[in-house]
Amino acid sequence: MEAIVQYLLSGLSAGSVYGLIALGFYVMWSAAKAVNFTYGEMFMLGGVLTVVLMEFGLPLPVAALAAIAAAALAGAVIERAFVRPFNREANAIGWMLTTIAVGIMIESSTTATYGPLGRPLPTPLVEQPLRIGGSGIYPQELLLPVAAVAVTAALEFFYRRTVLGRAMRAVSFNRVAAGLVGIDADRITLLAFAIAGGLGAFAGFLIAPVIQASSTMGVIVGLKGFMVAIIAGIANARGVVVVGILYGVVEKLIEGYLSTAARDAIGFTLMILLLLLFPQGLFGRPEVRKV
Amino acid sequence: MQHRRFVAGGRRLLLGLLPAATLLAIAPPVSAQRAQPCIGASWELTGPLAHTGFSIRIAVETALEEINAAGGVLGQPLRLVAYDDAGEPARAVDNARRIGERDNCIVMMGGFRTPNAIALRDPLAEMELPWVGVISAGTAVIEHPNNANKWMFRVSMKDRWVAPFLVEHAKARTKSGKIALVYEGTAWGQGAVPDVERAMAAINMPLVAKETFNIGDQDMSAQLIRLRDAGVDTIILYAVDREATNLVRSMDRLGYRPTIIAAWGVGVQFARTAGPLAEGVLVAGTFSWMGDLPPRAAGVLQRMMQKFPQITSPADIPLPSGTANAYDATYIIAEAIKLAGRFDRDAFRQALYRVNYDGIVASYRPAFEPRQERHDAILPQHYKLFAFHNGAMLPVEQTPFRQAAR
Repeated sequence: MEAIVQYLLSGLSAGSVYGLIALGFYVMWSAAKAVNFTYGEMFMLGGVLTVVLMEFGLPLPVAALAAIAAAALAGAVIERAFVRPFNREANAIGWMLTTIAVGIMIESSTTATYGPLGRPLPTPLVEQPLRIGGSGIYPQELLLPVAAVAVTAALEFFYRRTVLGRAMRAVSFNRVAAGLVGIDADRITLLAFAIAGGLGAFAGFLIAPVIQASSTMGVIVGLKGFMVAIIAGIANARGVVVVGILYGVVEKLIEGYLSTAARDAIGFTLMILLLLLFPQGLFGRPEVRKV
Repeated sequence: MQHRRFVAGGRRLLLGLLPAATLLAIAPPVSAQRAQPCIGASWELTGPLAHTGFSIRIAVETALEEINAAGGVLGQPLRLVAYDDAGEPARAVDNARRIGERDNCIVMMGGFRTPNAIALRDPLAEMELPWVGVISAGTAVIEHPNNANKWMFRVSMKDRWVAPFLVEHAKARTKSGKIALVYEGTAWGQGAVPDVERAMAAINMPLVAKETFNIGDQDMSAQLIRLRDAGVDTIILYAVDREATNLVRSMDRLGYRPTIIAAWGVGVQFARTAGPLAEGVLVAGTFSWMGDLPPRAAGVLQRMMQKFPQITSPADIPLPSGTANAYDATYIIAEAIKLAGRFDRDAFRQALYRVNYDGIVASYRPAFEPRQERHDAILPQHYKLFAFHNGAMLPVEQTPFRQAAR
């Protein structure tokens, strides 16, 4: 029983990170039908920049906010310079190559300047775990599912109740029609990538105290977050968070009862099977086009 | 007619090739050519392993400065020619070719990764270029399958000897007699499994459990729950800093705190990232720059700190054992050149067997012997146990963890 509780707790924590990252992909896809494959690096910047700014003497909240703002700016720059010019044609895929290349550049330059080793990001919430019998979780990790739910709710509010959010939805439904009614689709897309960048950095900042801030911390997590977004059906905010958390728990159950070494192989196989069964994603809807 | 033309052309070709062939015939073999007074090096100077190259470079440059200040070798200063291989075996081979054929250095020094060193076996033998490793601990780096290693030497630990050392200390500290192995899913970690199993069998103790993890894993609760349920109280660990930190965090979540005895992948960064959770973790190695140092080592540390401003304390030396090994290796190389009496690679290789030198890691008497198993200068009796205490990696004797359980 203790083991199952631990797998659920650990899965909740890891899965919430996947969910938060998948939310970022959702935001980008909704606006541009393209994503930023440097997204693992946005996640990394949240942890690494917070550590660096704290080493310069900034208090934790200020350092974290500055890191998130910097990642948001980076997201906007990437959209303007590396996505938009390569996403003008229908079915364009150049943005995939450019964002992957930029991701490698960001990771390499971070390794060169920040160093290859992880550094601690101390917060009071990782000093003592909360224990339930022989299981436990750090309070910092409990922030992750709370953040995932809160961000989902905030995004839904933003999309449904604000003018800007409605403009984003309009762009996601029909970019040309949105432009005809006076919405600057390019600016909306830029904003979406900035929001996503900040969101990725927020997730990185939240988990860095538990896993250390390092230049490679976003590589695998970014990939899994994207996979979760696809499996959920990338256009459903609640869906990506639910699938993210579920995938985190499934991973821990695989580790606990099948194999730790084969966790990713089994997990990815499951995802592929799901995709075969639900090509639109678990929470996606088939796209209907009237001709 | 055609036949006559062919014969005439063949004669001209032969006449043209004759001078070149004569030159080749009288030219000495590569090894007998006068080599240059330089140590060539292929290290991980950039990329994710840049800290390993840095750990070696600071020691070699400091030692060379001392050697050259004292007159160099055979009346000449000894130079360092260092190339970056970023941890890639193919680049290490390219660098070895440059060092052996273009720079014509008398010896080459190796870096961190065992696969890089193994990739060099054939090129080094072909060029007859002596190589001295200072970190890469893979057994096969020195003990070649054909039992014919002539050119590769090492001043570092050897995996085959590390496992019995870890097992011996695990046996001394376990109370329940239940020892487990936890290892990373890499060639290094997986390669350690048979070594540890053999060492456990040699002391007639079962290895209660074996658990593995992947590089980058952030939570190891599942493995630890199984070990806890099996009653394991001592873990032999093959991991590096990041995963070792994530392991002790997972232990902290579970409230499970077995004794950890780690191979030397765990370095000083672990103390920073794990914080108080590092307390009491034991690690094998050859040297630590922290704690009370003998006067000579304290002087070396002082000079390294003066030469490299980025080192403000011993905590800034990422791989303390590797740095100390590299320092001793540089002196052993210098001594061998002096004994050889000329800059000749084969004479240098032969001289390595005659070097007697008191280093900061060990007293090497002699440094090497002419059988491949003893192309390792640091012997099991030189291995040391360190413990993390108050954020520092100290010789276990200088910590409260010096006492074995029984």
